[in-house]
Amino acid sequence: MINPFHRGILFGTIVSAVATVFFIVSIFVVITAFTTAAETQKYIAKHLEELLDTVESTAGVACFVEDKQLAAELVAGLLKNEGIASVVVKASNKELAHGIRAGLSENDASFESASQPITRKIISPFSKDQVIGEITIQQDVNAINRQVSRKVYFTVSMLAIQLILVAAAVVLILYYIVVRPIRNLSTNLRRIDPTAGEKLLLPAGHEGNEISGLADDINKLTETLVIALGNEKLLRQQREIDEKKFRSIFDNATSGIFIADEDGHIHSYNRSFIKLTHFPIYEHGHSPKISHVPWRNRDRLDELIISCIEKTIDQSVDLALNEDPPIWLNVALASIGEGQVQGVISDVTQSKLSEATALHLAVTDELTGLSNRVGLERFFPEAIRQNMGVPLVMMMVDIKGFRHVNEYLGLPAGDQLLKIASSRMLSCLKKTDWLGRLGGDDFVVVLQGGAGRATAESVATRIAEILRKPVEINDTTINSGSAIGIACYPTDGIDLHGLLRSTEFALKYAKSAGKGDVQFFVPEMVADAEQRHKLEAELGLAIQRGELRLFYQPIIDLKEDRLVGAEALVRWQHPVRGLVPPDDFIPIAEESDLICDIGLWVLETACQQLATWQAQGKNLYLSVNVSVRQIPDALPASLLKETIVRHGIPASSLVLEITEGVMLSDINKGISWIQDLRNEGFRLYMDDFGTGYSSLSYLKRFPINVVKIDKSFIRDMNEETNDRVLVQAICAMSKALGLQVVAEGIENEGQMIFLKEIGCDYGQGYYFSKPVPASDFDRLALNGPGFLVTKV
Amino acid sequence: MARISFFLIFCIAVISATGALADDIVVVVNQKNGVNKLSKDEVIDIFLGRNRQLSSGVTALPLDLPGVSPERETFYSRLTGKSMSEINAYWARLIFSGRASPPTQVRSQEETMQMVMDNRSAIGYLERSKVSSQVKVVYELGAK
Repeated sequence: MINPFHRGILFGTIVSAVATVFFIVSIFVVITAFTTAAETQKYIAKHLEELLDTVESTAGVACFVEDKQLAAELVAGLLKNEGIASVVVKASNKELAHGIRAGLSENDASFESASQPITRKIISPFSKDQVIGEITIQQDVNAINRQVSRKVYFTVSMLAIQLILVAAAVVLILYYIVVRPIRNLSTNLRRIDPTAGEKLLLPAGHEGNEISGLADDINKLTETLVIALGNEKLLRQQREIDEKKFRSIFDNATSGIFIADEDGHIHSYNRSFIKLTHFPIYEHGHSPKISHVPWRNRDRLDELIISCIEKTIDQSVDLALNEDPPIWLNVALASIGEGQVQGVISDVTQSKLSEATALHLAVTDELTGLSNRVGLERFFPEAIRQNMGVPLVMMMVDIKGFRHVNEYLGLPAGDQLLKIASSRMLSCLKKTDWLGRLGGDDFVVVLQGGAGRATAESVATRIAEILRKPVEINDTTINSGSAIGIACYPTDGIDLHGLLRSTEFALKYAKSAGKGDVQFFVPEMVADAEQRHKLEAELGLAIQRGELRLFYQPIIDLKEDRLVGAEALVRWQHPVRGLVPPDDFIPIAEESDLICDIGLWVLETACQQLATWQAQGKNLYLSVNVSVRQIPDALPASLLKETIVRHGIPASSLVLEITEGVMLSDINKGISWIQDLRNEGFRLYMDDFGTGYSSLSYLKRFPINVVKIDKSFIRDMNEETNDRVLVQAICAMSKALGLQVVAEGIENEGQMIFLKEIGCDYGQGYYFSKPVPASDFDRLALNGPGFLVTKV
Repeated sequence: MARISFFLIFCIAVISATGALADDIVVVVNQKNGVNKLSKDEVIDIFLGRNRQLSSGVTALPLDLPGVSPERETFYSRLTGKSMSEINAYWARLIFSGRASPPTQVRSQEETMQMVMDNRSAIGYLERSKVSSQVKVVYELGAK
C-alpha cells in the first residue's frame, strides 16, 4: 500500500504549496514592511499637521495671553495621540508648557533616533502678521513602528490565510481529480489479470480526460505485452525442444565434444569425450582440465587452445594418448568467442596406421624392400639437417647388363638380378649408410657420418667388385657388372636435385666405355655432357645438311691378294670441327634414334656407290654396320630389298655387319631378322667377334656368313702367344662351322703372313689402306691388286 | 468652499451696512489719566486681556457694553475684525485658567461715561455722539 503522503503527488503538492506560500509571504512581508512604514510615516505626519491645525487657535490664545494653564491643557490633549512623544509650547521666548509621553524620558533612544520634530509658528489671533510663539511636536518612533508592525502583521496574516486556503483548495482538488483516480487505477491494476483477458476499468467521472487516456494506454500496453509474452513463450518452448534435440545430438555424438577456456578448464563435455580420451573422470570430475587427459605431449593442446583464442584461427592437431599401442586422436579447435574454444575429438588411430602404411609403401621399393625415389626425397633433406654441415657422399650404381638379362631371360630374371645386387650392395654398407632404388637398375647409396673421398672410393670399389661376381639365375650364369657415379654434398650440389644431377653425370661418365667403373663427379663432366648434347643436336641436322660422308676401307682376299670389297665407314664432316671420328658421334647417335636415320643414309649411300661401281664394271661388295637399335624394325628385310631393287644391284653385293649385341637383345626377333635377310640373299658378318658375350652356341644358332675377328686380337697377336692361339682357334672353329673369317686391323706384314698361314680368308687394315673417300678408293681400285701387292 | 466665501462676503457686507448706519465709536479715558493717545494694538491688548498696564503706569480697567448692544459688536468688529461669537469663544477658553479676565460689564453707554468720569483707571468705548468733554478720547474707530 502506498502511503499517499509519502513522496506522493499530494505530499509533493503540499510541500510545494507550503514552500510557495512561505516564499510569497516572505516577499510580501518585506514589501509590506517597507511600503507600510513609509505610508504610516506619511499618515502620521499628516495626522500631526491636522492636530496642529486643530489646536492652532487655542495655542494662539494661550500664547497671546501667555496662559500656561491653557498651554498645559493643550499639551496634555496632544499627548493623548499615540504618535506623539513630546510637545513644547513657547510664547515668544518663553516656554509656556512642556509635556512628555508617560513612560518615556528625555534620554530615551527613541528621542535620539527620532525624526525631525514638527514645529508650527503661532500667529496672533488678532494680527495676521504677528508671530507670538511656536508649538513643537516630537513624533514617537516606537509608536510608529508598532503601528507598522501591526499593519504588516495584518496584511501578511490575511495574505497567508488566503494562500493557505488556495493551497488547501489546490491540494483537495488535486486529490480528488488526480490522486484518487490514479490510486484507484493502480489498485485496479493490481487486481486484474491481463493474461486472462481482463482489462482496466475506465474510472467513473473521468471519461475522455487524461486519466481515462492513461487507462486506455495501459490497456493497450498490457495487450501488446500479453501478445509478446505469448510469442516469447512459444519461442521458449521451441527453444527448449531444439535444445533437447541438440543436447541429445551432443550427448550421443561419436565424436568427443568439449568447451574449454584458455586456462584449459573444461566447461562442458559429452560421453564420447570421456570415452575417447580415457579421461580420469573420478579423479578430476569437479574441475576437469584438458591437461588431465593422458596425452603423450600434455602442453601441446594447451598451447593450441591459447593460440586459437588469441588468433581466432581454427586449429587441428593429431595427438597421441599415452597408451600402448598408441591411440591417436584428432582435436579440431574452433574459437567460439568469450575466451572459449570448442573442440571436437575423433579417433584417427586407424587412419594414422593406414597413413603410416601408405607412407611406408610410398617410400619403399616393392621389389627390393629398399627406399624408393620418394623415400630418398624424404630421407635426404633430413640427412642434411641431421649431419649439420658434415659432408655426405652420394653414389649412383648402375647394373651393367641388367637390360640384357631382362630382355633375354625375362623380367623375373631381371628382378632376381636386382634383388641379388641389392643384397650384395647392402653387405658392403654400414648401418648408417643408406641404400635405395630409384627405379630400373639405378641404385643410390648415401654415406653419412663425414665419409671422405677415400672411404667413398673404397666402398665404391667394394661394390663394383662384388657386383662383378657372376650371378646364377635360372641355371644361367650371368656376368654382370656395374658403373658407379659419385658426388659429394655440399661441394657437388647443395640439395638433393643438384646432387642427384651431379651423381648422374658421374654415372653417365662411368658408363661410357673405357673410362672405369667408378667415377667421381668433376665439373668438367657437365661441360662434357653439354658438349655431347650439343653434338647430338648438330648431328640431327648433319644428316639433312649432308655433312655425313662414307669412307671405304678395302677388304682383301688374303689367298688371292685381290681387292674384293670394302667396309663402308661413316664420317662426319663438321663445318667447324672438321672431320669428326666415329667414336665421338656414333655412341651419341646410339643413345638416341639418330642411329636409325644415319643407318638409312649409310644404306642409301652405299647402294648408290655399289650401283656406280657396277656401272663401271667393278665387281666389289660393300659391308655396312648395323646397330642393335636398328634390328629389327628400323631396317627390315623389305626395306633392304626395295633399296637394292631401286638401285639395280644384286643382294649379294651388300653385306650387313652386326655385333654380338644383337644376340643379347630379343634373341628370337634377331634370329628371324637374320633369317629374313639370308632368304633375300644378303650376306651377314659378325663384327667385333670375341669382345662381348660371344658364345659358340650363339654362332651356331645365328645363320651368319662371316666372322670378323676384332682388331684387339690382331693387334696383340705378335706379343701375346695366347692371342695368337685364340685367333688360330677362332679360324679353325669358323672353318669347322662353315664360316669365313675376316681379320680386322692388320697393320704389318707379319700379321698378314701369320693370318695367311692359319688360313684366314680376308684381311682389312691400315697395312692395306686406311678408310678413304670414294674418289680415293676409285684410284685404289683402278690400281688394282698391283697397288696392294706393292704395299705388301 | 466657494459658497462659504460667498456667505462670508455677504455677512461682511451686511455688517458694514449696519456699521455705516451707526456712529463712530471712540475709546475714552478719565481726564486725569496720563495717557492721551493709544494705538490700536494697545487697545486690543487692554480689552482682550493681554496687557492692562498703561504707559502712564496706571492699570487700565476696561469696560464692556452689554453683550447684545450694537455698539459692542461694532467696537470689536472694527477693532479685531472678529464677530461677537468669536470674542465670546475667546474669552470662554481663558476664563478656565483665570490668567486673564474679560472687561467689566456695564449696562449702557451712559454708565460707561459715568464710570470713566468717576474712575481714573477706567477705559471704555461709546458712540462719538455720547462723548462729553469730561472724558478724554484716546482712540477712534472710524467707520471704515
